[in-house]
Amino acid sequence: MYEFSLRAISSYLGLLPGAVVVTLWLSILTILLSTVVGIIGVLCRVSRLLALRFVGTAYVEVLRNIPLLVVIYLVFFGLAQLGLLVNGFNSALIALTLNAGAYMTEIFRGGLVAIPRGQYEAARSQGMTAAQLYRYIVFPQVFRIIYAPLGNLFIGIVIGSSLASVIGVEELATWMHLVGDQSFRYLEVFLVAALVYVGLAQGINVVRLATGHVLLRSAPGGGHR
Amino acid sequence: MSPVVAEYWGVLGKGLMTTLWISWLALILGGLIGAIVGTARTSPWRAVRLCALVYTELFRSIPPLLLFFGGFFGLKYMTGIDLSPFTAATLALTVVASSFMSEVIRAGLMSVGRGQWDAALSAGMRTRQVLRYIVWPQAIRVMLPPSVGVYIATLKDSSLASVIGYVELTKAGLLIRETTGVSFEVFLIVAALYFVINYGISCGGAVLERKFHFVH
Repeated sequence: MYEFSLRAISSYLGLLPGAVVVTLWLSILTILLSTVVGIIGVLCRVSRLLALRFVGTAYVEVLRNIPLLVVIYLVFFGLAQLGLLVNGFNSALIALTLNAGAYMTEIFRGGLVAIPRGQYEAARSQGMTAAQLYRYIVFPQVFRIIYAPLGNLFIGIVIGSSLASVIGVEELATWMHLVGDQSFRYLEVFLVAALVYVGLAQGINVVRLATGHVLLRSAPGGGHR
Repeated sequence: MSPVVAEYWGVLGKGLMTTLWISWLALILGGLIGAIVGTARTSPWRAVRLCALVYTELFRSIPPLLLFFGGFFGLKYMTGIDLSPFTAATLALTVVASSFMSEVIRAGLMSVGRGQWDAALSAGMRTRQVLRYIVWPQAIRVMLPPSVGVYIATLKDSSLASVIGYVELTKAGLLIRETTGVSFEVFLIVAALYFVINYGISCGGAVLERKFHFVH
């Protein structure tokens, strides 16, 4: 009979904080880098040049339709084939950034296209400079549209970072796998690791809800949406 | 393309079929569970709504990779039942798909206005009849297009079955890599296959959306 016992894995809990830090670090770096990729991507997608629009669309469609796991293998094996010595962490970071960048591009685009053309013309005819137009008219509205899907994407990035374990990055999922293998206490390590992921995801959720609350209050007209 | 890989088209083809099959199975099973959870999300009782919400949020916050491991090794060590990789993968995929489907189904059910409920109830229908004859026939049209998205997500998640040794498309790629020593080309082909299938499905979904475009 299996006896559930967290004490059985207590000697491995000391390794947990280090693993969580790697998960967090990988996720944060991915969020930052994919934001940059997303900005470049959306500039391509809304560009006047057909070639750039095509590149942007192709990037988004290809990356959204391939499993992240396959992207990780592609980057890992591909870089090795090119003779570049890139460690597991950086390979995972590149793959996660490529993947998240595609979603980021779509989120940014969704925000931008929601602003009617007339608002640009109205602002310019009021004598606003391009910088003022974006600072005071476009970005505040875009942010109100994109903060919710951004939160979802951030949760997706934290969850996706677990796949880095397949190429040997020592993050949370690897901790679970290694300790499970050594202690035969898979249920316990699964519950602990799952709890940490749920905690991280719900933490992001709370920040997202709080952002929504603040945005709603600061909206012109005060929260009629 | 390296000629070595060309010999293994059969393995890739078989892997692709397995991928399509298991994700289809998980979508159907996940749809059934999602229908229960999604309906519970619109329940008049707060406790039922809360339980359903916890289910949805929980399985969206736990990485699918953990569910595959947990289902495969966790259940094995806990109960002594030796789940086959297929059973464990189907279980894990179904749980993930059901949490996404519950959201889709909830949104579909909510899209049918309160007024229709009131009208049907005041016409003497029972709750079950209202759901069966009024709400579901309309809601299902709203649910279809996003279900295509869930299918694509499930198809992509099915690649994780490779970590517990279930031979679907990704695992087929890994096996060919081990046998031939060719890495990059193999995964380029695997990626291309996923892309063609998923892009095809999403184009089909766009057609479906136009066909079923429906305003209450």
